[in-house]
Amino acid sequence: MGAAAVVALAGGIALAVWDQTPRDATKLLALSLPDTSGQQQSLAQWRGKVLVVNFWATWCEPCRKEMPEFVRAQRELGPKGLQFVGIAVDQRDKVEQFAKELDLNYPALIAGYDAVDLSKSLGNELSALPFTIVLDRKGNVATTQLGPFKPDKLRATIDSLL
Amino acid sequence: MPADRRLPLLLGLGMIAFVVGATASAQVSPLAPDKAFRFSARALNPHTVEARFNIAEGYYLYRDKLRFAVEPAASGLAVPSLPSGKIKEDQFFGRVETYRGNLIVNLQLDATVPGQKVIVQAESQGCADLGICYPPNIQRVTVALPAAGSAPTRPDEVPKKQWFQ
Repeated sequence: MGAAAVVALAGGIALAVWDQTPRDATKLLALSLPDTSGQQQSLAQWRGKVLVVNFWATWCEPCRKEMPEFVRAQRELGPKGLQFVGIAVDQRDKVEQFAKELDLNYPALIAGYDAVDLSKSLGNELSALPFTIVLDRKGNVATTQLGPFKPDKLRATIDSLL
Repeated sequence: MPADRRLPLLLGLGMIAFVVGATASAQVSPLAPDKAFRFSARALNPHTVEARFNIAEGYYLYRDKLRFAVEPAASGLAVPSLPSGKIKEDQFFGRVETYRGNLIVNLQLDATVPGQKVIVQAESQGCADLGICYPPNIQRVTVALPAAGSAPTRPDEVPKKQWFQ
């Protein structure tokens, strides 16, 4: 009977730890995509930063809703080494318009679905949006988030990496 | 603590640890799109196919992203008339129309012959209330058109695929 309790406890700890398998961000960091002005931007240029890569689209309402919080975080913690990068699976003119409305203070890159498919190996089997990947300063995946990123969880993750 | 109190406490702590572990790694768990937006089609007569979406609760499709095609192209699909959806004022896009629950679209085929088989293809895009949106999803079903004057056929559903969950 005591063994059952130990098994339950061990199971709980194991479950909390099980998806800490290292995930490879090499393909992500090798990406080079145009920004809204048409200029190619390589993700590798932000090596050494705490990089938050957010896949989104203007037609994705939950994506748009969380972006003001990203803008806030970028403004506050950019000087400390935080860098948001938005990858929009979208049309350039719509992205540019929304970026203006939001006063976006981080790069908005334009991509097709092949870019989102990159996130499949990082836990996004459905290629759904929004999907956010947080990389530490060494370029390793610290965490991923499918769906809206709750502000307190986002801040806690970022703070632990800065 | 008395010996007979310790065991239930340990068991309770173990269960709490298990639940905490489970929720710590849990994020949103959306349905696979073929399950969230179940597509089926059946022939009403040799020139009319009823296309249907059974949309799971908590999910919705965009009206302006819905497209239909029929193979062979020579079937003569008329431009489908889509029902009105629920209108929402979107901050960015203005007026947006979405579908929830059951959606039926009748497809008129002007050049088919009785007993012929056609492939009905639907392209749709939708989101889940829990906070994700799917890429465009293509679903295809084969429909056998009935002989002239016979009753509507059984609906053919999208073949069930093995999904990760």
